Amino acid sequence: MIYLDNAATTLPKPVSVERAVCRAMQSMASPGRGAHPPAMRAAETLFQCRSEAAELFHVPEAERVVFTMNATHALNIAIRSKAHRGAKVLISGFEHNSVTRPLADLGANITVAGRKLFDREDTLKEFQREIPRAELVVCTHVSNVFGYILPIDEIAGMCRKYKVPLIVDASQSAGILDLDFQRLGAAFAAMPGHKALLGPQGTGILLCGEEGLPLMQGGSGSDSIPQHMPEYLPDRLEAGTHNTTGVAGLLAGIRFVREKGPENIRRHERSLLELMLKELENEKTELFAADASVQSGVLSLRVRGRSCEDIAEGLSQRSVCVRSGLHCAPTAHRSAGTLETGTIRFSFSPFVTEAQVLSACQILREIIFKES
Amino acid sequence: MTQYLIMCRSLTKAQSSARLLESAGITASVVKAPQELSGAGCGYALSLYRRFEEAVELLKKNQLLNGKLYRRSGGEGYTEVKG
Repeated sequence: MIYLDNAATTLPKPVSVERAVCRAMQSMASPGRGAHPPAMRAAETLFQCRSEAAELFHVPEAERVVFTMNATHALNIAIRSKAHRGAKVLISGFEHNSVTRPLADLGANITVAGRKLFDREDTLKEFQREIPRAELVVCTHVSNVFGYILPIDEIAGMCRKYKVPLIVDASQSAGILDLDFQRLGAAFAAMPGHKALLGPQGTGILLCGEEGLPLMQGGSGSDSIPQHMPEYLPDRLEAGTHNTTGVAGLLAGIRFVREKGPENIRRHERSLLELMLKELENEKTELFAADASVQSGVLSLRVRGRSCEDIAEGLSQRSVCVRSGLHCAPTAHRSAGTLETGTIRFSFSPFVTEAQVLSACQILREIIFKES
Repeated sequence: MTQYLIMCRSLTKAQSSARLLESAGITASVVKAPQELSGAGCGYALSLYRRFEEAVELLKKNQLLNGKLYRRSGGEGYTEVKG
């Protein structure tokens, strides 16, 4: 199998992640409930994961690292903490439904800024124009469809200048790009554990610049008498028993990323993308590509005269796993003019090899030219 | 032997505090706080037997001290002490 759908979930995981999950399942209980060894082992694992995530993302205190089920869960907490019905919320033209649906559900007044793909200048110009009128900015760091790296540092600078709170969706950047939470000065940053942080599905992280509003109420293992969630982090936003086995795996994933170095992972993925571009440049394919300063290791393409689903199905039958369609991001497709067709997305991980990419390209060429 | 308890706002805060003390060579373990000392119910504390004053100063300096302090000797109950 050649797995090139890592922007959805990375696969395989490092062996250390599998082992950590198994160890946790056999030896850990509910963290923050009892004080017996299985509970304290779980608590120690959670704390270690918070601490190492805080170091990786430059968060001043481990308490500000909150565990969630995924990035969507984290974004929902962040958005419901900062937005309200009628609030003027500015988003980029490349947001995922995990941003746009919670905003729509709240009845926020949404403005989209920066629709031009891979055009940082246009993105900045649009944000510059709209930020002074916004009450909240929600912006992805990297487009999940096209790998477009948005100028998040500059956008964060504008937000600080106009005192507009910022929520960063780091779903496609955490573990690959530098993300300095303290420097950004964002209210929140949300990320999944199961993508480039290489943890198991069912894990996510919310970095908190402020306390936020709980999305769920329940047991926190602390301050049990009051009938409201504690005022302090992380307890305030973590109701119910944690996904301890998942967090144990996430900790191993974060360690793998830190050891390898996010910049090296990015370089590897980008070199695979460039190899793929070279292999697939032909009259039939429409490649959505730009230089490395504005595109991560995610490549979308279309094949002229063929549906994206047919191509992805053909690849799947030959054991090449990619994703086709809208990738839960109609806003991004509306911006890029691909809403009618969707795209076929190829995405990489530290475990993808050049040989695999060459094989996938060969198979794709066969599907395009021999089976059309 | 006298046991000292430093009450902590949360388990994570207790863990951060224990980590800080450990880096200064002070051994403190994270324990579930006795119910009679947890005003709001269910809390955590740092338990230590040595270098209590030093630990309190270090936590204060790092803005990690946010709970009451107690001591207990032999079979006695807990007595609040001032930091």
